[in-house]
Amino acid sequence: MKRSKSFMGIAVALTAAALLAPVAPAAAQNVRIGYAIARTGPWAPGAQVTQEPNYIMWAEQVNAAGGLNVGGKKRKIELIGYDDRSNMETVVRSYEKLMSSDKVDLILPPWGTGANFAIMSLAKKYHYPMLSCTATGRKLVDAKNPYFFALLQQPDVMMDALAEYMVARKVKTAAVIHVDELFGLEQFTSLKSSMAKKGIKILEAKSYPLGIKDLSPVLKDMQAKKPDAFIGLTYPPGTFLSTGQAKAIGFNAKIFYLAVGTAFPIYRDKMGAATVEGVMGLGTWNPKTGAAAKAYFDAHVKRWKKEPDRWASAFCYAGLEILQDAVEKVGLDRKKIRDYIANTTHQTIIGPMRFKGSENVSTPGVVSQWQSGEFEVVWPPQRATSAALFPKPDWK
Amino acid sequence: MSRSTLTRMRGVPRALTLTVVAGALLAVLPWLLSDFMLSLALSCLMFAALAVSWSMFCGPTHYLSLATSAFFGLGAYVTAWGLESMPYGLTVLAGGLVGAAFAALIGVAVLHLRGAYFAVITFGLTELVLHSITYVEKTMFETAGRIISDAPENAVIYWTVLGITVLAVATAILVRASRLGFALAGIGGDEERAQTLGVNARRAKVLAFSLSAFFPGALGAAMAVRWTYIEPMSVFNPFIGFQTVLIAMVGGAQTLLGPIVSSVFFSLLTEFLRLRFPYAFLLVLGILLVVLVLYLPGGLASLFVRRARPHA
Repeated sequence: MKRSKSFMGIAVALTAAALLAPVAPAAAQNVRIGYAIARTGPWAPGAQVTQEPNYIMWAEQVNAAGGLNVGGKKRKIELIGYDDRSNMETVVRSYEKLMSSDKVDLILPPWGTGANFAIMSLAKKYHYPMLSCTATGRKLVDAKNPYFFALLQQPDVMMDALAEYMVARKVKTAAVIHVDELFGLEQFTSLKSSMAKKGIKILEAKSYPLGIKDLSPVLKDMQAKKPDAFIGLTYPPGTFLSTGQAKAIGFNAKIFYLAVGTAFPIYRDKMGAATVEGVMGLGTWNPKTGAAAKAYFDAHVKRWKKEPDRWASAFCYAGLEILQDAVEKVGLDRKKIRDYIANTTHQTIIGPMRFKGSENVSTPGVVSQWQSGEFEVVWPPQRATSAALFPKPDWK
Repeated sequence: MSRSTLTRMRGVPRALTLTVVAGALLAVLPWLLSDFMLSLALSCLMFAALAVSWSMFCGPTHYLSLATSAFFGLGAYVTAWGLESMPYGLTVLAGGLVGAAFAALIGVAVLHLRGAYFAVITFGLTELVLHSITYVEKTMFETAGRIISDAPENAVIYWTVLGITVLAVATAILVRASRLGFALAGIGGDEERAQTLGVNARRAKVLAFSLSAFFPGALGAAMAVRWTYIEPMSVFNPFIGFQTVLIAMVGGAQTLLGPIVSSVFFSLLTEFLRLRFPYAFLLVLGILLVVLVLYLPGGLASLFVRRARPHA
């Protein structure tokens, strides 16, 4: 009895001691950059496609070039990354550790709208600028947090672009499905007002829960109404499901648009390049949008043996570029970094980027489309890398 | 006071005093710890209160409830809906009451079930509440997530959770010594015999189930302010329920101290593994669980209680 009790005591004491000890800096001169991100749990697929690979690759690139230039001195980057286990409380606790105990020099954002929301007030309290690349929603921007910057286009910007494209193609009617999450609802609200402005009629709109396993009854119903456009404001599971099921029942429309996940290379690879030919979705860039984008694409393929997604991945990398530029201009004073980010037009792989409050007001809404295995930018015309396939060819 | 009541109440004043003293000692932590260490303490307290309240009902009756996540999430939504019009303390109380009321309602409907049926039903409850709230939010308010703007200080959240934990432990002590506690133990032993001996099993079960749900409800309401953004998918997290059951069982759900020790042990251990051995984390945790279940089926507490006199 006595032995096991003291064993327990030792175990607890050891654990406590290990936890209390701060993470010792490997070298005092390193720039320590911390983040928590999902490596396990339901957020992990998104986070590990779009976000963390960019963090690691960027740190390696900067270190290979000698390090971050801080006040004329090159200093290596030391990344401190924790698994947040796709849990909100763990996200908050991890950033509390990074900011209050580890006292890292800079932070990088977690994955997803909810997690970014959760640490916004900490960022403000401890004065850590955050350049978020996987958070969208007016509510984020309306929070007016001076340390928060949202890189991705907001829903209204994206839906306006889609509506403009539809008007240019004289599309009159649409059928819409949307996922019952903040993302889907906010996109849908924006879509309704964009469509109303452009005089496009929504014949039918249906919502569905995130975990749905069968959309074919809804799709059949919409097929019968013969809309010019089918618009799915979906998350990746719904994107894959509606593609497969629409093909199976032969539901095609002149415009076939799905939201999150269409930009993932795995969408093309899993469904087949021939199947997704002509499918449109949320995207912004591809290797043809510029020389810097091409260099990023090649580096990503070389480092990870897989392509980056054609939407948020490049925004994550752009956020890192902005952070690097800010540090090299003003040093590691985080208030100065914030002011620099807020008041400068940045050059990124996506193009120039400027913030108004928390919002990136430079990157326009974009419509992309799969064509022969590439997610081509087809709208707006000045950013297009290819002419749109219209109407969408039949399913193959 | 009858003689049997006196026997029952023996040791209770001492246990209650200890609880309050421990609570008072822990109340100074916000002045001593960094934000991170405080949130770690917060996590220990939260799971202690969850595990103690879970054991309050499930320990003696041998019911396996997975509804903790549902109560917790409901509490979080009470805060999300109410914080604009009510002070924080009141939303926490309201969260607890909503949890208790909901449990009473559910209890009347499903507490006649046993074993796997009850476990599955209570697990399904979390999904049911999740989708109901999503539906209400979508159709009535055209939203899916809510923002909490005026979050209280970390220290205030900590004291609130500490208060709930002390209350949970005190309640557990009182329930164990009360007629209700004996009725529950009787139901756990043999429900029909207990009924024959005059225990109103249905009433006792519903009462205790509802009482034990007050605490996860209040905790959900208290913790929600830490996340700024409340959405059904993140607050109705089934793992909160699983972890509670695990902690209580590993600690020993029949005892009072077992779940408390085990929640501190587990919270620190998971955090340590997550931060230091991120890739071995789930592996180590899994192996540890298997070992504990195989060799200590009565929980960590069984290491200590054997020498104590057998329970009355």
